Amino acid sequence: MPNVLVIEDDAQTLDEIVEALTDHGCAVDTAQTGREGLMLAIANAYDAIVLDRMLPGGLEGLGMLASLRSAGVVTPVLILSALSAVDERVRGLRAGGDDYLTKPFEFIELTARLDALMRRRDAPPSVQEYRAGPLQLDLLKREVTCAGRPVALLPREYRLLEYLMQNQGQVVSRTMLFEAVWDYRLDERTNVIDVHISRLRKKLDPAGSMPMIHTVRGSGYLLRAPD
Amino acid sequence: MRLTELHRTTSFRLATLFLAMFGFASILLFGYLYVEITGFETERVDEWLRREHAQLIREHPDDLVARFENQNKYDPHTQRPFGLFDASGHHLAGGYPGDRPVIPAFDTPFTLRLHGLQHNPPGRCIAAHFTDGRVAIQCQNTRELDHFDEELVHALLSAAVLTLVAGLLGAALIGVGSVRRLDAVTASIKEIVAGNLSQRLPMRSKQDDLDRLVRVVNGMLDEIERLMREVKGVCDAIAHDLRTPLTRLIAGLERAQRRATTKEEYRAALDHTIVEAGGMLRTFNALLRISEIESGVRRESFEPVDLAAVAMDAVELYEPAAEDKDISLVLERSSPEPYPMHGDPSLLFEALANLVENAIKFAPPEGHVCVRLFSDASGFGVSIRDDGPGISVEERQAVLGRFYRGEASRHTPGNGLGLSLANAVAAMHGMEIRFPDVESGCEVQLAKPHESTDARSNRREAASSLTVTS
Repeated sequence: MPNVLVIEDDAQTLDEIVEALTDHGCAVDTAQTGREGLMLAIANAYDAIVLDRMLPGGLEGLGMLASLRSAGVVTPVLILSALSAVDERVRGLRAGGDDYLTKPFEFIELTARLDALMRRRDAPPSVQEYRAGPLQLDLLKREVTCAGRPVALLPREYRLLEYLMQNQGQVVSRTMLFEAVWDYRLDERTNVIDVHISRLRKKLDPAGSMPMIHTVRGSGYLLRAPD
Repeated sequence: MRLTELHRTTSFRLATLFLAMFGFASILLFGYLYVEITGFETERVDEWLRREHAQLIREHPDDLVARFENQNKYDPHTQRPFGLFDASGHHLAGGYPGDRPVIPAFDTPFTLRLHGLQHNPPGRCIAAHFTDGRVAIQCQNTRELDHFDEELVHALLSAAVLTLVAGLLGAALIGVGSVRRLDAVTASIKEIVAGNLSQRLPMRSKQDDLDRLVRVVNGMLDEIERLMREVKGVCDAIAHDLRTPLTRLIAGLERAQRRATTKEEYRAALDHTIVEAGGMLRTFNALLRISEIESGVRRESFEPVDLAAVAMDAVELYEPAAEDKDISLVLERSSPEPYPMHGDPSLLFEALANLVENAIKFAPPEGHVCVRLFSDASGFGVSIRDDGPGISVEERQAVLGRFYRGEASRHTPGNGLGLSLANAVAAMHGMEIRFPDVESGCEVQLAKPHESTDARSNRREAASSLTVTS
């Protein structure tokens, strides 16, 4: 069970985050000030930290993050920020944040991004291929086979599949896919990715007999080896 | 403003100030003229007196008697009375009335009253003293000279009074004119403050300073009125656009309350509710984002970006969606050169993606959408053209406003914010959204005008075009 520290001053938001993370299967510690959060983060080994950008009590989000990094703590940090401060994204990532989420957000977005952060940290340094059931993706040759049958993919489709396989068994949101595959940040939800996913689905499984890419609650995707 | 407050108006004060300055300068000038003219006349008399005196002292006093009597004969009005007196001061000869007067100094001109003549006129005299005690005096009656001086002063004073009266009248006229104009302007402003925003300040055909000010203020009022109307439109649109999903949401919940019995049915109703509520939240987020982009924060995320690469990515993202609708989506560029600029790639991408999405939405089945990178003398940018119903000239400005749904899009999905966002992004990057006139269909341009003529504007448009997709 992953350990997550949530630092957020608004009690109601904090409760909602804690509930969502607990439902997601995380053990959650909480702090309501930057100072308290900093002490907890240094004393305990967390798998990830959710940090609100605006904190009361003298030590605001980015200051706390800077102190944390200078103390040698490399725990992945996801920064939360109010929508009106999009300019802060650049500043937040520069200050040592690993990912950035603007409020209000859907919780599937939060959990998916946290999972991705923790996985990125745990990932083996170099992988040559990904496998999921009959599906095989060769990173060196950039080739995809499904049950031994080669699948011809366009470059963008290949990158989509690569990202989904890299995160297989985990939900990835549309915006995460968009950032990873198209290299653009998209604050607005778009359904245009669905068309790309459905093409990819057809190419991998023309008959539709063993679905591997699942749509999750309308906002994300999940690649899972067929049972 | 009442006319009793005339003296407070700037123009009246200015006019009276000028009048005072002019009056002061005039007094100085008149004084100088007076002194110069009278001085010149006295000098002329003195010169004549000295000449006569020089002759007189060379003659023997006995000859003077005859000479003085002779002179007296030719001077009936006693304009130049001469007089010869013995040592005790008694009159011997000449037209001088009475005995020897008090003489302040000999051999130099002096002024005295000619007592004994009519009106006791003033005179300018010179006296000579002979060795036997006799004294000769030669005078010039200067009554006419003094008369001239008086006339001069009188004329100057009359002119001064005339100038003063005319000046005051003029100042009052100017003041009244400006009071009237200001009253008109003030009345208009009061009406605007009272709520009539369509009222404008009165303009005259004259191009004076007040007219310039009025023109600028009227321009400002136009802009304020436009903004107010836009805000009102947005409020109405928000209310309208949120009422519909809210009604649907409540209807769904009530239906579930009435009919749902199983856990699955409740779950389905909840899912429906979440989708509807999520849609509303997204509309709010989109609104806030447009405001944020319009307010110009986020410049920190600016970096060098190739507009051509962004356009290619946007086209590539929509290829499958276009293909599903049997629409051909084509990217054309005149040359493989990049279109470098400074900006936020994600926002530029979102703006272009919105424009491409609109084009695909409005193109008919089996229609065509052409995304073209252009660069000409006026600037460079991306043009997106479809063969859909197009946008009428009257609607072109309105479609950039928030929530505007054109006639053609009344029944298509969307929140009417896509073009607003594109417009906000364009403004943030010093670009503009243009709708060039086209014969059919619709063309939208996201264009960056050149700040100056640089090398790119001279670049010849190569005819080759690069087709990216079918």
